[in-house]
Amino acid sequence: MNSWKLKEIVVMSVLSVVFAVVYLAFLPVGKILVGFFGPIGYDLIFGIWFIVSIIAAYIIRKPGAAFLSETIAAAVEVLLGNAVGPMLLVSGMIQGLGAESAFAMTRYKRYDLFTLMLAGVMAAVFSFVWGYFLSGYAALSTGYVAAMFIARIISGAIISGVAGKALSDALAKTGVLSSFALGKEHRRKHAA
Amino acid sequence: MFLHDLNPTVKALTIIGAVFLLAFVFDPVTPLLYIVWTVLVTFLFGTFKKRYYLYYFIPFTLFAFGMFWTTIVFSDTASATSETVSFLGMEFPTEDIWTAAALGLRVLAFASLSLLFLFTTNMVHFILSLIQQLKLPPKIAYGVLAGYRFLPMLKTEFQQIRAAHRIRGVNRPDSWKEKLLQYQRFAIPLLAGAIRKAERTAIAMESKGFTGAKARTFYRPMRVQWKDWLFPVMMFGMLGVTIAVLLYFGYFSWYDGQL
Repeated sequence: MNSWKLKEIVVMSVLSVVFAVVYLAFLPVGKILVGFFGPIGYDLIFGIWFIVSIIAAYIIRKPGAAFLSETIAAAVEVLLGNAVGPMLLVSGMIQGLGAESAFAMTRYKRYDLFTLMLAGVMAAVFSFVWGYFLSGYAALSTGYVAAMFIARIISGAIISGVAGKALSDALAKTGVLSSFALGKEHRRKHAA
Repeated sequence: MFLHDLNPTVKALTIIGAVFLLAFVFDPVTPLLYIVWTVLVTFLFGTFKKRYYLYYFIPFTLFAFGMFWTTIVFSDTASATSETVSFLGMEFPTEDIWTAAALGLRVLAFASLSLLFLFTTNMVHFILSLIQQLKLPPKIAYGVLAGYRFLPMLKTEFQQIRAAHRIRGVNRPDSWKEKLLQYQRFAIPLLAGAIRKAERTAIAMESKGFTGAKARTFYRPMRVQWKDWLFPVMMFGMLGVTIAVLLYFGYFSWYDGQL
C-alpha cells in the first residue's frame, strides 16, 4: 500500500463512487432483462458490474487496484442502499479478486487488451461460482446454468474488457491522466 | 438510541455474520421469523422516519417476489417430486415452492438487516471506526471519504455539462436511442472533471500535512464498550433460538445439496 500515491487512491475512490452509481442504475435494467429472459438477463449485461476494476487497474497499474476499486464501489452501493443488501459487498470483493487474479497472472506487467479481457472473464468466473451458491443457481436446470455461465463470460470480456479499455483510452486522450501510468504510456506512444 | 450509539464496526460485522449464516438456511420459516425480529429491533431501538423505511422496503419486496417466481419457473424439474401444488392455475412441485419461498424470504431477510444498518449509522463514524477498530489504512479510508463527498458534486457537474452542451446547440433527446447517445457524450467530460478534482483534492490533503501515517490522533475517538457486545449477542442469540425451535418442530433445513 505504501507504493500508492494519495492522488492515486483518491482518483480510484472517485472512479469507484461514480461507477457505484452506474452499477445501481443498471440493476433495474438487469431486472427488465430478467423479466424477458429469466435469470440469464443479468448475465447478458453482467460485464457492467466489473468495469471499474478493469478501468482502475488499467489506469493506475498497481497491485490491488482491481480488488480495491471494486470493493469500494460495492461498499458505496451498500451505503447508498440497494436491493441486494450487504451481501453485495462480498460479491464485489469476489469480483474484484477475480479481476485482480488476471493481472496477478501477468505479474502486473501486461496491460494489453487480452489481459483486460481476461480480467473480465476471471471476474465473471469468480462471481459465477459465488452466485451459484448464494443465489441458488443449482435450483435451475443444468443447460440453463451453462448458458448463463457462457453469457456472463462473454459479457465480462466484451463489456468490461473491451468497453473498459475504450473508455480509459478516451479519458487518456483528454490529458487528465497525464500523471498516471496510463497517461504516461499514452504520451510516450504519441511522442514517438 | 441504542442502535445509533453502537460501535459501527461491531454492528457491521454482526450483520455480515448473520447474513452469512442465513445464506445456508434453506427453509422459508427461519428467514421469515428472523425478518420479523430484525424489523422489530430496528423499530424499537432506532429513531428515524418510519415512512422512509417503508419506501426502502417496498422495492426489496418486489425483488424478493421476482426471486421467488423465477426460481419456480426455471427450476430443475429432474429433482422434483410427484407431489404438486396448484398455483395461479398451474401445477408446481411442492419442494420447488418451498425452496423458492426460502430464497425469496432470504432476500428480504438480507434487506431488513442492511436497512437496520443504513437507518442507524452515520457513514463518517463508520469509516472512522473502520480505521480505529479494524486498522484500515488511513490513506485508503480518507481517500474514500474524500471520494464519497464527490457524489453530490457530480450531480451539479452533470447538470453543468448538459447545459453547456445545450448552449452549443445539442438538442434535447426525444427518443430512447438519443438519450443513450447523450449519456455516452456525458461520460468522458464527467469522468475527466471528476479525475481532475480528485487529483486537486489529494494535493490539498497533502499540502495540509496528511501523510497517511498510521500513528495519528483522532478528533472523534471510536471505542468498543461492553454494551456494544449486547447487539451481536442479541442477533446471533435470536438466530440460534429460532433454529433450535424449528429443529425441534422439524421445519428447519440446512444446505444439504437439495438444490
